[in-house]
Parts: sequence; structure tokens; C-alpha cells
Amino acid sequence: MLPSAGKETWNASVNEEQHEHLVESNAILLDVLRDQVGTLGVKRGCDMGTCGCCAVLIDGEPRLSCLCLAKEAQGTQIVTVEGLADGHHLHPIQQCFAEAGGSQCGFCTPGFLIVSAALLDENPEPSRDEIKCAIEGNLCRCTGYQQIVDAVEMAASMKRNGAIPPNPTDPKSDPHPLGPDDPSLPPGSSK
Amino acid sequence: MAKGYRQAPGKSGDKKRTDGKRVAGQQDFGVPGSGGSNPHSNLQDLDYVPESVGGWKKQPRGPHVHDRHITGMTIGKSVPLVDSNWKVTGQAEYGDDIRLQGELIGKILRSPHHYAKIRSIDVSAAEAMEGVFAVATGQDSVNKFGVLPVTKDEHAMAQDKVRHVGDLVACVCAIDEATAIEAMNAIIVDYEVLPSIHDMEDGLKDSEHPIHDRGKYHIGESNVQKRVFQQFGDLDGMKSAPFVHESDWETAGLHHGFTEPHAVVAHWDPAGRLTVWTPQQVPHYLHRGLSAVLDIPMHQINVHRTFVGGGFGGKSDPFPHEMCAAILARKSGRPVRINFDREEVYWINRGRHPSRIQMGVFADDEGRIAGIETDALIDGGAFASFGHVTTYYNGVLHTAPYEIGAFNYTGARVWTNKPASGAMRGHGAVNSRCAVEVGIDAVSEQMNVDPMTFRLANLLPPHSRTITGFRVTSTGMRECLAKVREQSGWDEKFRNLPLGKGIGVGCGFFISGSGLPIHWDPENFPHATVHLQCDMDGGVTVHTGAADIGQGSDTAVAQAVSEVLALPLDMIRIRSKESDTAPVDLGSYSSRVTFMNCNAAIKAACELRDKVMKAAWEITGYNPDVLVLGDRRIYYKHDPAVGVSWLEAVHKAQADVGSLIASGAYRTPPMGGVHKGAAAGLAPAYSFSAYVAEVDVDVETGFVKITKAWAAHDCGKALNPLAVKGQIIGSCHMGMGQVLSEEMKYGRDGHLMNPDLLDYKIMSVHEMPDVVPIIVESNDPEGPFGAKEAGEGPLLPILPAVCNAIYDAIGIRINELPVTPDRLHKRIEKHCRKIKVDDPLDLPVPRFEPGPLQQVLVERAEAHAKRDHLRDIQEDRSSYVNGVLFGFDPDKPMAEQKEGWREAVVPTPQDLADPSKRAARAWGHVERRHRGDE
Amino acid sequence: MRMPPFTLHTPENLAKALALANELDNFDWVAGGTDLLPNYKWHLNPKPNVISLAKVNELTALSGTVIGAMVRIHDLANSEDAHPLIRETAATIASVMIRRSATVGGNICLDTRCYWYNQTEEWRRSIDWCHKCDCDTEADCRVIPNQNTLCVATYQADLAAAFIALDATIHLASGAGARSMPFAEFFQLDGMTRNVLKPGELVTHVTLPEDAKNWQGAYQKLRLRETWDFPEAGVAAAWKLEGGKITGLRVATTGCESIPGDHSELAETAIVEWSGKDSIRELADGVRKAVKPVSNTYFPPAYRRKMLRVLTRRALAPLEHL
Repeated sequence: MLPSAGKETWNASVNEEQHEHLVESNAILLDVLRDQVGTLGVKRGCDMGTCGCCAVLIDGEPRLSCLCLAKEAQGTQIVTVEGLADGHHLHPIQQCFAEAGGSQCGFCTPGFLIVSAALLDENPEPSRDEIKCAIEGNLCRCTGYQQIVDAVEMAASMKRNGAIPPNPTDPKSDPHPLGPDDPSLPPGSSK
Repeated sequence: MAKGYRQAPGKSGDKKRTDGKRVAGQQDFGVPGSGGSNPHSNLQDLDYVPESVGGWKKQPRGPHVHDRHITGMTIGKSVPLVDSNWKVTGQAEYGDDIRLQGELIGKILRSPHHYAKIRSIDVSAAEAMEGVFAVATGQDSVNKFGVLPVTKDEHAMAQDKVRHVGDLVACVCAIDEATAIEAMNAIIVDYEVLPSIHDMEDGLKDSEHPIHDRGKYHIGESNVQKRVFQQFGDLDGMKSAPFVHESDWETAGLHHGFTEPHAVVAHWDPAGRLTVWTPQQVPHYLHRGLSAVLDIPMHQINVHRTFVGGGFGGKSDPFPHEMCAAILARKSGRPVRINFDREEVYWINRGRHPSRIQMGVFADDEGRIAGIETDALIDGGAFASFGHVTTYYNGVLHTAPYEIGAFNYTGARVWTNKPASGAMRGHGAVNSRCAVEVGIDAVSEQMNVDPMTFRLANLLPPHSRTITGFRVTSTGMRECLAKVREQSGWDEKFRNLPLGKGIGVGCGFFISGSGLPIHWDPENFPHATVHLQCDMDGGVTVHTGAADIGQGSDTAVAQAVSEVLALPLDMIRIRSKESDTAPVDLGSYSSRVTFMNCNAAIKAACELRDKVMKAAWEITGYNPDVLVLGDRRIYYKHDPAVGVSWLEAVHKAQADVGSLIASGAYRTPPMGGVHKGAAAGLAPAYSFSAYVAEVDVDVETGFVKITKAWAAHDCGKALNPLAVKGQIIGSCHMGMGQVLSEEMKYGRDGHLMNPDLLDYKIMSVHEMPDVVPIIVESNDPEGPFGAKEAGEGPLLPILPAVCNAIYDAIGIRINELPVTPDRLHKRIEKHCRKIKVDDPLDLPVPRFEPGPLQQVLVERAEAHAKRDHLRDIQEDRSSYVNGVLFGFDPDKPMAEQKEGWREAVVPTPQDLADPSKRAARAWGHVERRHRGDE
Repeated sequence: MRMPPFTLHTPENLAKALALANELDNFDWVAGGTDLLPNYKWHLNPKPNVISLAKVNELTALSGTVIGAMVRIHDLANSEDAHPLIRETAATIASVMIRRSATVGGNICLDTRCYWYNQTEEWRRSIDWCHKCDCDTEADCRVIPNQNTLCVATYQADLAAAFIALDATIHLASGAGARSMPFAEFFQLDGMTRNVLKPGELVTHVTLPEDAKNWQGAYQKLRLRETWDFPEAGVAAAWKLEGGKITGLRVATTGCESIPGDHSELAETAIVEWSGKDSIRELADGVRKAVKPVSNTYFPPAYRRKMLRVLTRRALAPLEHL
């Protein structure tokens, strides 16, 4: 087997859960999160700091995990995309990315969500320009960014108004609905 | 089943009891025991139901065959993608997120040479390493594959030679990545370097070592992979036309730039079946490819499409690394995962072809487009991939939206020692479309007519035939142009803006699904098949093989089923990932999925609906003719209170058969001509688009900033406007990248210089202008609910719109893409010298004085608008063939047409006489089988 | 992408860091990691040991005249205390995500860049290696072939131009003691040598002259995209106005050669008889002539050179009517 860097114990809180792993001295945080912690929502796009798909919150600040030595994140509070939702309640930014079309293929989405969530914590009412400046380190190939900016704007307003995204575990449509008191007009009937 | 489950015919509303006692017909529906607290189904939204079936929705273009399936549930409404919650929570599993117990990591050894013979490969040191489980080379798999059956020229790994830097030579799998890399580096390969070809024009020449050998089908000793010749119409009339714009274009190669690098996991289960997890746009062709390469029947393979982190055509070939993973997993007995580094993504490429296009646009003194003459040489790189088709598309896809007097196309694709080009969003049409539209702009200027008017006066009408025989059904081209003209303030701005500010228009035309499937069973094999299953729970599971690559095909098919069955989207479940459970769908390419898969889904849903309606008939006593599907209810048309719930009817329908199942399929109708290549570019419908772009050009630096774009796209019918807008804006983003910044840069020795996302310049959020997406709905007669594609066509017009806007801003005609600042600056300097201006800030700007033809064209455009309207609403059903504007009579045979009108697909020596034409040179070679070699 | 194995050391203070540097004979410093880690992923001259300065607190001072090496670019760009020209320049560096990790010291010590160098190991094998790394192969320079003495990789850090324009002083420390020098003297040809740092030495901070606040300035950067991209050429200018007259003018360039360019002599000459636009034009031409980029970054060198003239003019635009 290869000579590899010596291993050391690494610990940090990931999504409010304490993790301890034996990692190589030179391990990159992205690799530790994906391969050892198991937070596969953190994506590897370019591995070089351009695409922003690997963004995570380290002590509340969005950082590129692909350019972060794991050891330097030792003992920190890390939040990945998996940690944004409160149980099944989506974070407003997650709800709005879905609703506004901010996510197409979805691969860059975790990075954008992390960066946008941090922006909304810092600035509850960002202008479109401020949003653009916050997401300038993230690359999206599908959306042309417009619907992403829409989504962040929408989430900001949702958050300001204290609206809570619906719980997806609430009962879905009843295939046997109770009879209507006020039945809908069928096609063909007069208006 | 619970009692009180059935509602007897009769009114219930007024006499609702509150004491809890149940009397037939006099209380709400009982709770069926299936849970749920939602008390009522939703009112039918008549705004979405067409007038033709009793709703309030206006139908400016006449009724549609699917109107009677409209229930007002989801079609036409903006709904989030059905899988978006997976994506926003990080739960969506992409290729590299598949982690199996006991997985090994695979690595691929790649060629360091552009072109070389492999003398020997020594894997012994690698095999002997601790932690290495298997090593494989080309000898482990000698069978060829390729996405097109006619041009299979790929192997899992190099057989005797490597054809580009990055070509696959061998692969290893080991316990971890570090060991795999070490083992890969321990493989010793002895190469004999061959002279490599990098310039596409060298590919036209005879070569001592052609990159491939196609045996008797090889074109001379050259590297010409495919050549096309098509000549239609009145060539003489074209040649004598007074207004001519000829240009010679050079466009760079492009990469799709998806954010997810390729990744694959292969595993042979204990029963000996292979499962391959991979982000594939076209799982079915991979399925076939794996079967061929591994020499096992298809039923032994399960292709599992993961979430796809962006495709754009770049994940639509069966790939050698997918074969490698399967081979390694077979040899090692363990699951193998291969994940690409970004650089490898560029090695496998399949992006847009670098091309040199000579474009002539001709207009006659009546302001008609007398002809389009194109010579396109495209650089295929080292493999065929989709190139056979691309070679056609570079020509045949500009036979519309305009009525043209003649079409003269010569195309050739050559092999070079570069990563292979392939299909990329707007496949084959993008570069030549840009050249056509810029030519149209230039010819308009020569004639002193507004390019907007020129276009409007030369459009093919709806329900017509193009010059090479494509069947155009619906077209919203006229409306697209009208809308962008109005919303952009074109009439005030065109040729009126100061130096450095410009406005330009461009149009697009694209296929909505390819008429012939790639793996073509000429008899009855459908393009798309959808299975539905409805069990006791009342929900509907959709089984489809259509690959959702982020474009939202799962959502579209869910919407189609939901609409027909009048069920909320949350009752529809999509199973589209595994070939084991999905019926064959040909894949996400050529913008075919919404069109074909939703058509199949509608058929299946109708079949399921009919079963349920029959049950409702048995319960209510009313014939399905007078029953209506509402939201989860089936009721009597004339007394909506009389009805049964969806679940009740479903259970009744299941009484004897159990689970309800239904199947639907779609196959394109017979279309097109009979000449060689007639099938290329055939589609059951075509999309149209027109964009206006505004730019700021910094004349001192050559920087172009797009400040705003108005993007009108005719998608037939926006099934999901949110998704359509997303596609339009996203297409704009990609097209803007191509026109201004993106290119695969090759160094002087042929090395790809920018295989990373820092130097491959995809536009950031700061470069992206405000795009106004405008949806035009032409209600296609064959499209599902009238829909056509919206994924690729919207990319085309942005390129010429920007090029034409640059001309408007500074008076320089673009003929090289991308228009990077250094290139444009060079052009500005040259232009300044030519017109003797010292300071570029003093450059004159083009201005517009309408000439005599302007009024003629305005009138013709108005007359044509009326003509088109009558055809749109199907009051005028006469046949219309391209050429009528020029006196062609569609009712007469070819021989009796006016003189000069011709059709040819094999060139005569005179056709090839012009030595400056590049692709024409490809016809200078004789195919080996025709020169008596064999 | 997998980095070669190395041992990461994380000393908690400067003394420990310098002591460690004395002990280890073959190591790299890492600050924010945004330059070093991509280079290591590409296997560019990796070392068996890396000493991280992340936990060293002494190097984070930030005021109008003192900027610690470990100040993050993001903090610098958003600082109210820093000099406006420094802030403006910092805000153009890479993307906001990179700026959140990158540091001032890292930017100053940025490794020189080149199309033939900043590539994977496999890629460099395909060009038969590069002179700047893989040196045991005795590879020639691929930018200017047939000479293997000089490395022409380009220095593409933005801050250097601004620091030179503001006449900053750079402060270094090593186990042997501290030393300081005018900012421009920190750099040393060629693309491999890069600067005067001795083994075990590091940049601790940068100071601006006391009267820096009386200097105004502008930074102009050539890059294709308004984020991510390194400067293909950068011009920083700083000037001092007294009673409507220019009493001091300094101009510096970056992104064009293996070291940043200090054109203050040209600028000082120009202000002797300042005549607005004409002087600016003359000065811009001078800057253009003084700089000779080579073909190893995104834009061709001829274009970068021409743009230097435009960038200089634009940087000096506020002085047009003086």
C-alpha cells in the first residue's frame, strides 16, 4: 500500500452532531465530509475552488470545503446542506429554490443554498445586486442564475414575514375526498 | 371496504345531516379508511380548460386533439419540479454519491500522446501491488461500440493505438484512491508516436495513418469521417441574386460545462447480473453498448440512472469509462466506482464541434431569400460520436423558418487527434444558424430594409414543407418576432443608438425530437413507452425510461398523467431510473422527451382513465360520455353532486383484475423525403424562437457586455411555464457563453490548454444580463397538449442576436466565435486602420434609411400574417411547399417545375469546382469500395 | 483530486511556527490555502511538510497603515479602516468564496502561474513536463522553448500593484530575525525564484507610510469575468493632491510578468510638467513599453500589453483635468 500521510483524530460538529474520525494529516474537508462523515450532499464539482458546489458553513460562514484542510476545521461547527432543514421543515431558502425554479439539475444547488442561507442570516433584505455579489463564487450551468436570484429574494421575504414552509409529511391528497357541498362546475355547464 | 363508501345518485348538498347518522345520498362521502383529512377536492380551474371542451381558456389557434383530456389540474401551471425536494435537501444521489459496501476505486490510465501506436503494455507491477484488485487493458474488451450503430468506432480502452491525449489506455481498481493512482502510474506502456493532426483542414488530406480505418467504407486515405451534399431549389436564381453576403466563420469547440463530473458505479450481483449506476442522458444506448462490449445479453444488465448533474448532450454517449467500471467489477468481484476529475471530463468531451463555415445568404430584388449556400467543415476529434448527424444538422437545420429559393449545402466532418466532439445543446445547428442570421442581417442592410421586416416577409407558413421536405406543423415564429420587436422597443432603437450601444435580432429553429430513433427498427419500435400502475391506494406509479437530467422530464410526465386522470401531482409517483423496471425510452437527446414521452403518457393515462370511467359507469349508471373527471372525482356532467370518488371507482375497476395497469407508446408518423439524408433533421414538430439582445461594446478594450435580452420562444404549449422560462434563461446563459467567452483552447502543439472551470470561461452571475423570457404558444397539433421542445432551440438565437447587436454598436461584422475582447479589439483596430480613424471612440456607427423595398416587404409581411392566421386556425388547409413564393407549384411533379429547380445529393465536378470551399474537398476522395480496392 | 501525502503542522503562535520552520528542512507555508491547495492537487512542487498559519493570531492586525499577513481578503475588502485603494483592489480578487479563505500574505506570495504549469500531473506528462516543476526531468520551458534557464510564469496577484503604488513596506520574519524592505524589492526574477523569502522566512505584515491617507488611488483590472479570474493585467495608481496640484504619483502593474512592475519613476517624471490628458497618455505609453508579457495566460500578450495603456489611462482618469 501507498505511503500516506499519518492519521490523526479529527472532530467537529457536523449538522449539530459531534463527529470523530481518524483522518490523514493532509485531508481536505470535502473528502472527509463525503467519504467519512457521509454528508454526500456536499458536492465535488471542480475540486479547485471555482464552482462552489462544495460550500459548507463553518462556524456560520460559507466556505469552500474543497480548499479547506480538514485539520483547520477541527473543533468547528459545520453545517452542510443536509443541516439546513429543521427536521422535515425545509428552510425557506430550500422551499423557494424549489418553487422559483432555482434548481434544475440540482448539482450546484447545495452550494447555492449554503451561500444564500448565510446571506439571509446577515442581510434580511438583500437587493438583487447584493444577492449577485453573494453568489458570485458559485457556478450554475442550468438556470442562468436569474431564477436563483428570484429564489433568494423570495426566501428573504418569506423569512422576514416569518412564513413557515409546509411540512412535506402532512397528509397528501385524499383519493377519496368527501363529497363537495359546492361542487365544481363541470366543463360544458354554464358559467 | 368501509360501508357508506358509495354515493348514491341524487343531491346531497342541502340535506346534510349533522347527527352522524348516515342516510344514503344525504351526507358527505364517508371516509374510506385510507386516511386523509382533506375534506374536499378542488374546484376545477376553468381558466385552464379550453373553450372547446367547455372551459374558459381561449384558443386563438384552434382546438387540439388533447383538449378533451384537459381537466384543469396541472397543465399550463407553474409547478416546482417533482424531485426538487431531493435536490434542495442534498438527498439527490448523483453518480459519485452511490456508495456500495465493499466498493473499490477505479482509475483510468490515459494517453500522454496525441497519436501513437501501443507497442506493449506491462501491467505486472500494478497487478502485484497490495490493495490492487484488478487491472484491465484493451485486450479485456475488443468489441466496438458507439452511440450511432453506423459509426461504432470506440473501445473500452485503446486496442492498438491511442488517438488523443487523454484517450483511455488501461484501468485499475484498488482498495482506495491513493493505491489506484499508484498502480495506474506503475503500468508501463511502450508507445510509438505517430504524426498527429490538429487542424481540421489537415483531416481532409490523405494520411499515411488515418485515425480510424473503416475498411471498404473509408473515404480514400483521408480522415474524413462523414460528408454530406445537398442541393435543392433554383441554384441559378440564387447565383444571379443581386444582394449577397458571404462570410467565412471560425467557431471554437465548446464543452457542456455541466457541474457534475462523470461518475459511474458498476456491480455484478450474486446472480451474475450487472447493475451500472451512472448519470446518463441516454441509458438505453448505454444498455446496448454494455451488452455489446461485455458480450452478455441485455437482460443481464440493469442500467440505473442516477440524478444527472447537468447533461446538455455531454452525457448522452455510452462512455468507455462506464465499460471500464463494468470490466473491473467483473474481474475483481467487487463493486467499482470511477469518479472523474474535472480534467477527465474535458478529455471525454463530446462538446460542440469546432467548425469553419462558409456561408452565403442571397436575396433577390423582390426581397426574397433567393438561397442559402453553406460549406461547413467540422472538427470531430478522435471519434465519431454523434458526428454523422452533426454533419447533416449543420446544413439541413437552416432550411427553415424562412422560405428560401435554393439550398446548397456541403458538409464534412473529419477526425483529428483531439478529444471527440459530439452533441451539445442545439446540436449541430448553433454555429451555422448564427452564420445564417448574421447573413440575413447583412443582406437586409444591403437592401436598406429593416431586418425585422425582412424576416417577417419571408417566413414559412404553418403546415408547410421545407425545401428538403421537413414537415413543419405549427410555427409561432411570426408572433415571436412581433413580441420581441414590441417589448424591446426595436423600432426606436435599431440603428439609432450611439457608438458602443447596439441592438440586434436573431431567430432560431430546432427539432422537437428526432424523427428517426438512432437504434432504428424500421417497423414498429416506438420512441417512448410509458407504463402506469394504479393499485389499491389510488395513487398512480409512472414507469418510464425517460432520463430526467434536470430539465424536468419526470415533472412533465407526472403533469401529463395528472392532467388526464384529474389527480393532484402528489398522487403521481415517477419511477424512471432503472432499466429493469422502466420501459425503453430512447433518452434525453434531440429535445424529444417532453414531446414523445408525454404523448406516450397521455395514451397510457387515457387507457387507465377509460378503465376507471367504466367502473364509474357501473357505479353511477351514467355512461362515460356524460361523466366528467374532476379533481379526484368522477361526476355526472349535468349534476356534479352525483358522482364517485377516484378511489371508489378505482376499487370497483380493480374488482376482477387487481392492480390497474396501462401502457402507452409514441412513434413518429411517416414523414419526409426519400433522398439520401432525408431523415436527418426530420422531426414530428419544430420549435421557433426570436431574440433581441442589447449590448454595450467598450471600443477601447473590445469588451462586450450584454445588457438585456428579450427571448421569445415558441414551445407550442408551456406545460409548466416555470420550467420553460428556466430553459429559456438557461439556454441564453449557455449561448451567451458561447458567443462571448467559452472555448476549448488548444495550444500550438495541440494540447488542450484550459481543461478546468477557471480557464474554461463560463459566464458568472455578473455577466448574466436581465433576460425577459417570452413564451409563445402555437399549439402544435401533434405535441402533447400542443407542446414542443423548449430545451435546445432557445439557445440558437442569442448568438446571432448578440453578433448583430455588436454590428449595430460599432459597425463590425462578427465571423469568429467566441467574440472575446482580444479578438474584437483586433477587429476594431483593423477596422480603424481601414477607414482611417485614429481613435476608436470616433468610429462611425451604422445608420438606417429605409429603401424602396422596405414598403414592399412590410406589405408582404402583412399579407403573410393573414395567410398564416388562416392556416393556424386551420381554415386554410391547402398544402404549402417551400418555393411557392418563387413560383414553385406543389401540385406538379419535379420534371414540370420551372427551369433550374433541382434536387441532388451527389455532387457533380462543377459543384466542387471552387477550391476555396473546404468541405467540398472531402468529396475529392473516392470511397475505397468504389475504387476497386476490395 | 488527491494531494500527495504531507504532514500538516498547525503551530499556535509565530514563535512556534518559526521554530518549526527551523526544524523542517523541506516545507511550504499555508495560509488560506486557495493557492497552495490547488497547486498541491495538481502535484506542483509538493513538499513533505506543510506549516499552517491558520492558528497563528499575531498576524491578523488590520488598520489604516498596518495589514497583517493573515488578514483575510474578504475582511480587508470589507474593512472600514483599510486604505480605500487597498479595499478596492481586494474586492476584485477572485470570487467572494475564495476571498473568504484567501489571505493578504497568501496573495502577496502567490505562486506564479502559467498555462503549461497550472495543470495536472497527467497533463504535464503530455507536454513532457514543465521547467517550473518536475525539474528532475530537466524539462525545457514550454512557453519560450530552447532555453531552460528562465521561468516566465506570470505573477497574478492584485494586491501587489496597490501596495507598490502606495509605497508600502513589507515585513518578513524568520528564526534569524525580522527584516523589512520597500514592497517592490520583495520580488525577484524569475518565475521560480519569485521573491526574496529565504527558507523558513515568512511575510508577517505590510505597512503603509504614515501619510498614506493623503493618497488617493484607483485599480484597474483586466479579466474576462467579474469574478473568479486572475488579473490578465492590473494597473494601480496612487496620487497625492495638494492645493489642486499633483505632488506625488505612483503607478504599478501586475499580472504581466513574473514580478509586479513599479513604474513610479515614470510617474514622478510625468508630474513635473503635468498636462492632464496628454501626460496621462504619455505615461500610459511608457507603462506599456516597460512591460513585456508572454503567452502563458488566457489573453494573448499583445492584447494585454495594449490594454495596459487603456487601464493606465482609466486609472488616472481623475487626474485628466489637472
